[in-house]
Amino acid sequence: MASQLLPLELIDKCIGSKIWVIMRSDREFVGTLSGFDDYVNMVLENVTEFEQTPEGSRKNHLEQILLNGNNICMLVPGGEGPQ
Amino acid sequence: MADVATPKKTPTDFLNVILGQSVVVKLNSGIVYKGVLACLDGYMNIALEQTEEYANGQLKNKYGDAFIRGNNVLYISATE
Repeated sequence: MASQLLPLELIDKCIGSKIWVIMRSDREFVGTLSGFDDYVNMVLENVTEFEQTPEGSRKNHLEQILLNGNNICMLVPGGEGPQ
Repeated sequence: MADVATPKKTPTDFLNVILGQSVVVKLNSGIVYKGVLACLDGYMNIALEQTEEYANGQLKNKYGDAFIRGNNVLYISATE
């Protein structure tokens, strides 16, 4: 029998591993997932922020962040970010 | 997948840790505020002290106290 896995259970399995977060805007984050809440606000560690600008892609490193879940579009477990 | 080395740390845990510390707050517009986190609530409304406002990496303004409405917040980052 196929067992169901809820979307947030999948994200819960990602805690402690890398995750790629794609925002509604031209912004992406890659980092290690420490935790999240019901709104999918996320705590990330060792984060790289990718921003697409008309001048090209910009990278920014952050030690630890609380990312607002409001503008998150997609989560990719184990994702390495845009290449 | 969570192991002993990476204990679960929910948003609430994180906020309790960084309260009173130096933080960087980035808004959806890209503007960055650096300051000491005085307090915050469940909406991510934030009160900062000794606030510096940066746009495009350049210091634009300084405020003694600043209140940021939570809906504008993209992320809150702890600084060492």
